[in-house]
Amino acid sequence: MTYAEEVEKMTFEESIKTLEDLVKELEAGGIDLDRSIEIYEKAVLLRNHCRQILDESERRIQKIMESSGTLKTEDLKFE
Amino acid sequence: MPEVISVTELNTRVSELFSKSVSLNDLWVSGEISGLKKYPSGYYFSLKDTNSVISAVIFKSALSRLGFEPTENMKIRAFGRVALYVPRGQYQFIVEVIEKSGIGDRYLAFEALKKKLGEEGLFEQSHKRILPAYPKKIGVVTSQSGAVIHDIITTSASRYTADIVLAPAMVQGNGAAQSIVAGIELLNKSDVDVIIVGRGGGSIEDLWAFNEEIVARAIYNSKIPVVSAVGHETDFTIADFVADARAPTPTGAAAIILRDKSEIRSELQGYMTRLNRAIGSVMDGMKHSFQLLDSKLGLQSALDDLEMRSMMVEELSKTAESSIIASFKDMKNQYTSVDARLRPSRALEDINGLKTTVEASLERIQASSKHIMDIGTTRLQSVSEGPEKAIASILKKSEQELDSDTKQLEGLNPSNVLTRGYSMITDKGGRVLTSIGRIKVGDSIIVRLRDGSAEADITSKELKE
Repeated sequence: MTYAEEVEKMTFEESIKTLEDLVKELEAGGIDLDRSIEIYEKAVLLRNHCRQILDESERRIQKIMESSGTLKTEDLKFE
Repeated sequence: MPEVISVTELNTRVSELFSKSVSLNDLWVSGEISGLKKYPSGYYFSLKDTNSVISAVIFKSALSRLGFEPTENMKIRAFGRVALYVPRGQYQFIVEVIEKSGIGDRYLAFEALKKKLGEEGLFEQSHKRILPAYPKKIGVVTSQSGAVIHDIITTSASRYTADIVLAPAMVQGNGAAQSIVAGIELLNKSDVDVIIVGRGGGSIEDLWAFNEEIVARAIYNSKIPVVSAVGHETDFTIADFVADARAPTPTGAAAIILRDKSEIRSELQGYMTRLNRAIGSVMDGMKHSFQLLDSKLGLQSALDDLEMRSMMVEELSKTAESSIIASFKDMKNQYTSVDARLRPSRALEDINGLKTTVEASLERIQASSKHIMDIGTTRLQSVSEGPEKAIASILKKSEQELDSDTKQLEGLNPSNVLTRGYSMITDKGGRVLTSIGRIKVGDSIIVRLRDGSAEADITSKELKE
């Protein structure tokens, strides 16, 4: 699995946490250029993934009920 | 003649009667506030019960001591006296103190439950769960017809996107507590990440369900974090103490749970700014070491073409291609083979010093260029999109330069020696003859000069002492 594919599977929270960790690692210094570049590439992927999630604004508004032991959800409508 | 008095006199007598009456002074009256009118001098209202009504007034000074705002329909106990308003002949109740009726009992029940649950550990900070930072789905236990669900839907629209699942519940009146508990339990069977339990503002009676023990326990036992959002900011309920977080209002609950999108975006941007700054300092460090390397090479190199190569290396380091290493090696091999073929000892001496310097320099350049190439290659990959074409053309140019350099280097090498009066002897197969042992009397040999060759026969030979 490429890193891009890994990122694609991450939740927003995981992505932003990973991004934060990478930034801190790079800021701490003492790493070679290979790792620096790797961090940069990963960070860009993570940033893009986060943006993609943020751009998504479609949401469902539902109500949940239980009838005879089974859960039922339906779209919430107001009169 | 019977006594005739004025209306004023009459009302004054009645007023005096009232003021002297023990039963009409310093008494508590219970009733409900109705027709409340607010004036700068005080509040005027009717105090009524199911069968009767009396005008009442509470003046500004008494009002300011109350600590709460009397409202329409509020059930109260009022302390005061009955007085007649002489100009109108109307009597009214002058209120000194108002207590919300039933508040005493409620208050005691509230305090008792709070103490009990507190001792049991239901309010412990250690039990409080951390709210998910970016929930995908929010459950809401409230009335479907109330303002709360609308407020939450509206407030959350501009925030981090999450689905909303309402578990409709009665939030006041008989059965409200049970209904709220059912809602919390229902959402615990669903996949919501966090639950808001709430209702809008109202009287203490309206909010009472949130002070019920079963509601407190349902919140405590919820596997999913619960945010309470009951009434106004000043209203505190038992539910607020048990919940993992308390929101001042239902709108506030949405704001607590879901972060503002623009805020998240700027945080994201902040990370990228820090990242760029950090990578920038890595690059600066590299540039510095390139410069250092270059200056070293410049100082130590005695050969112009090597100096030129070191400059080329620096240039290439920005773009990079590991084939330069191969080119260097190739060059060195060529040099070695030329050297092997052309062994006249005089020429060898001529170039020995040169060779050593060249080889040492080549090796140093190989080592450092390999290092720089590796760095450069990686950097190239990171920015690879645009500059590929440019790099390709730089590389091509570099190769051409390398070719011409190689020619120059060869020019310095022993082949050149022929032009200076030396000749090279080979057998008929073209092999260079470097030892007398390889030549027999009667052999034919080829003598190579600068501008041609001649065949000669060996008539005698002599071994050097």
